[in-house]
Amino acid sequence: MRHFRSLLKKDIRLLVSGKFFLMSLGCLILYTLYVNFGYLRFVNAQLYNVYLYDPVGTQAAVSELMQRVSSAEELDMALREDTNGVGIDAGTGTVRILMYEGTEHADRHRADYALSLLRPAEHGAAETIGSNTPEQKARKEITCELLFFEITAVGFLGMASVLFKEKSMGIIRVHAILPLQKNLFVLSKLVIFLLSDLLFAVLLSSLNAGLPDTIALLPAILLQTTFLSLIMALAGLICSLLLKDFRQFTLAYLVLAVFVATPVFLSANTAVKLDWIRFHPFYHLYMGLKHAYFQTSTPGPSYCLGCAAAIASLFAAVQVLFLREMRKEI
Amino acid sequence: MIEVKDLTFSYGKDRQALHGLNFAVGDGEIFGFLGPNGSGKSTTQKILTGILKGHGGTVSLFGSDIRAAHTREFFQKIGVLFEFPYLYANLSVLDNLRYFASFYPQDQLRDAEELLDELEFKPDFLKKPVSSYSKGMRQRASMARALISNPKLLFLDEPTSGLDPAGAVLFRQIIENERKKGTTVFLTTHNMLDADLLCDRVAFLSNGTLVALDTPGNLKEQNRNHSIVIEYLYQGKRAEQTIAAPELRAGIPFAYDEIIRIHSQEPTLEDIFLRYTGRRLS
Repeated sequence: MRHFRSLLKKDIRLLVSGKFFLMSLGCLILYTLYVNFGYLRFVNAQLYNVYLYDPVGTQAAVSELMQRVSSAEELDMALREDTNGVGIDAGTGTVRILMYEGTEHADRHRADYALSLLRPAEHGAAETIGSNTPEQKARKEITCELLFFEITAVGFLGMASVLFKEKSMGIIRVHAILPLQKNLFVLSKLVIFLLSDLLFAVLLSSLNAGLPDTIALLPAILLQTTFLSLIMALAGLICSLLLKDFRQFTLAYLVLAVFVATPVFLSANTAVKLDWIRFHPFYHLYMGLKHAYFQTSTPGPSYCLGCAAAIASLFAAVQVLFLREMRKEI
Repeated sequence: MIEVKDLTFSYGKDRQALHGLNFAVGDGEIFGFLGPNGSGKSTTQKILTGILKGHGGTVSLFGSDIRAAHTREFFQKIGVLFEFPYLYANLSVLDNLRYFASFYPQDQLRDAEELLDELEFKPDFLKKPVSSYSKGMRQRASMARALISNPKLLFLDEPTSGLDPAGAVLFRQIIENERKKGTTVFLTTHNMLDADLLCDRVAFLSNGTLVALDTPGNLKEQNRNHSIVIEYLYQGKRAEQTIAAPELRAGIPFAYDEIIRIHSQEPTLEDIFLRYTGRRLS
């Protein structure tokens, strides 16, 4: 236990000197400001502006979101300036929809949206399901995405930066001849990153998804954070033990971020459906976290066993690479 | 203390690094292990320190086979000074020593400040980060790390590298003091002066094979060519002649006005190494 305490203390000092905790705090503040002052305003904003030219007043019961213009020239000018906007020309008595061409699906949506504002009474409110208000839903969605990003990106890079620092100092070799159980060296790093990620998850969720909701969701969120944090920290250790320097690591990380994370976000958050995504382990981890925030399903035993097996295999691989690193000539 | 019989090791199928080494190191002995780069010195030291596994032959330390000796107790008894001063650059020397000392039993440890004082470490730098130290100070800090646990067996790899002449003399004195305490020292070096001044016995390693093993004195004696060079003045001219040592018994066998210098032709360890291996150390 004394050995483990020494390792923990040393790793914390390394992280403090590398400004890791400061960076995490900075991320927390930045994300919170973005959610509360940027994202929520953005999701509440109108998708498209709709302009109505109706000189004789044939359209009486239009939505308040509709913007009236006084002439055909003004309607033309508005659409030139706002190329995503939709114009409705009711000057001849019949309704004519005008807009710059976009994509086929989006154009249909724009036209339908403009007509729904023209005759709001005909478009009855849809029956909503689930207990989340739109704001709660938006908050949980973005908090889930930010937490996933933070753990996969910042935690992963943070772990690698610590290990690269120790590698460059040659200090790993010294641990080979210390009367120390060698796996404690890796274990202490995992514990620190896990605790740091768990604390980050609690703070980020409390500040952005709301405290009462967070208290109810916390056990599920923390379980998913634990899985993701350990897997990413171990993946970071493997990459930093395999690759020569931090520059190579950042290039590998770019590949990971672009080719691994992009399909996950696309499949999970948009209408894009990729058949093969079910074979992507990060998709399941992301969906696990999303389910935790929305309480849509609880993780089954096969999912938990899969995560535990992945963690155990990665840990074994790290041990092998770590022992190889200790034997290296520096 | 150390007993090595038919030690072999290979990196992969076709890279045999050690070809059946045999040697023994007694308690309290300073044993020099000399060889050029790539001769197998580091591989041997890694096997002896328990870092490298998978060797052939038998290696026993402290009376037990090394395969069974990789326990916490084994690592508590050894100290290793690596060729480069591996320390946490963001921590001070004191914090480094406290950290490394924390893995050893409390009653085995030396006082860090006393040890650094013995190594003539500049007191102003005790609390400054290692990143601000000179090469010599890092080497002192590294030596303190190797000695803090009072090891019974000390592995030293190029201990005087990076030190000025006064520092090298101090380190030799400290190694001598360790021997007086009963510590066994396994010294790996390119520095022939260190080997000559410190070692009870030296082993020459070349291409994974031991080519010579004896005391520095015996090696010199066996390789002496028994000739003497005399530098003298005769009729206003400076001259030099080489004669066989027994010839000197009957006096100087040539005419001279004044003897300037007489040199016995004792070979250096470097010369002997070259003779055995056909290669220079550095």
